[in-house]
Amino acid sequence: MQYFLLIIAAMFVNNFVLCQFLGICPFLGVSKKTDTALGMGLAVIFVMGVASIFTWLIQKLLVLAGIEYLQTIAFILVIAALVQIIEMVLKRFMPSLYSALGVYLPLITTNCAVLGVAILNISTYGVVGATSLLQSFLNGVFSGAGFTIAILLLAGIRERMDLDLVPKPFRGFPITLITASIMSMAFVAFGGLLG
Amino acid sequence: MFLLSGVNPMTILWSTLVLLVLALVFGLVLAFCGKKLAVQEDERIGKVREKLSGANCGGCGYAGCDAFAKAVVEGKADVNLCNATSAENKKAIGEIMGVAVNTEATRIVVACNGGNNAADKYEYMGYGNCKSMELLAGGRKQCQWGCLGMGSCTDVCPTHAIEVGMDGFAVVDKEKCITCGKCLVACPKQLTKRIPADAKIYVACSNCLRGGKDVRAICKVGCLGCGLCAKNCPQGAIEMVNNLPIIDYSKCIGCGLCADKCPAKCIKKLED
Repeated sequence: MQYFLLIIAAMFVNNFVLCQFLGICPFLGVSKKTDTALGMGLAVIFVMGVASIFTWLIQKLLVLAGIEYLQTIAFILVIAALVQIIEMVLKRFMPSLYSALGVYLPLITTNCAVLGVAILNISTYGVVGATSLLQSFLNGVFSGAGFTIAILLLAGIRERMDLDLVPKPFRGFPITLITASIMSMAFVAFGGLLG
Repeated sequence: MFLLSGVNPMTILWSTLVLLVLALVFGLVLAFCGKKLAVQEDERIGKVREKLSGANCGGCGYAGCDAFAKAVVEGKADVNLCNATSAENKKAIGEIMGVAVNTEATRIVVACNGGNNAADKYEYMGYGNCKSMELLAGGRKQCQWGCLGMGSCTDVCPTHAIEVGMDGFAVVDKEKCITCGKCLVACPKQLTKRIPADAKIYVACSNCLRGGKDVRAICKVGCLGCGLCAKNCPQGAIEMVNNLPIIDYSKCIGCGLCADKCPAKCIKKLED
């Protein structure tokens, strides 16, 4: 039950994009087509999952040394290095996955949502706190899944909207931002789910 | 030392040490992975990529300069497809690949100056670009060859170099244009033309009708097909095909006589 709650919380209640407003850049930038949005989403799930494990371990190390306040700088270092290594490994051993993720993998290095999940994992923020390594990993993966849901929804809407007659001043980004805000309002309603 | 009073010196030591070790470990791992996991790639790809413009315009039809460089080295693409590259860089690519390349610089012009001067057939209210409008009876203009002015070329231009001005037809800004050639494909009327960069004149009309009555009924500035330009050209560089002058730029000396003689003023001089 606890894990179920954690998954629901990560995907919907604390949805990274629509409820916590993290990772807005790729959310708006890569949501023109559903297939690129899916690629971006998968890359985020992947990196968030792996980053959660490693940052959780690093946090233990920081606590041991009594320097928790350095977590931001340490986490950025870890995430950046991790993404680079993952990219190299994928390029060598899984070229098809590498080309599928394409440019999105290095893009995620500087994505605040990934740093967000790493820091929120070890803080007490949220309805369900993630305290163990497994919980931390699950939170990372399903936060990524929440990001994927949000970006896929927006990409689907934008694909349909491209065919509609939108008033000229609203074409392009303005109508996208309005759409995103309405989606955000809808997602805030999930806040009532866990009381 | 005033600022540090009350701070445990061990904390400073630990924080520096931990971060240093972390950075060192990751640096070493990255360096190791970089060596061990390097994918063998044809080194010519990198060399060709360096010589490309790097605009990632997509005018060649590939996803970007990286993809194009790969295609060139694999022999799938012609080096000449990249029009944004300078002549000397193209030459360098030719040397890398061991093939001859055409290094002649080009520029893009729009072969129509009708716009608001060309009569409308109907008022278009639908979804907005030239391609969709062209599906409806060939577009709103009575001239079936002319610029529709909805900016399909503007949509694809990576540098905002081609725009539909107040006159209602597309105009190329030479300063911004990288001659990638995306607009050549985007224009449903194929009005954007590639001509030599040192051309002094171009024909700003594509109307194939002949005679004042027919042409003037649909466009005030259209080519009448009179052939005065061809008759007056001292070099014989102009030939009339389908009632339109075709300029042989290899013969043209840029005297501008044709532009002066043209009664419709649709042969334009290029200043720069």
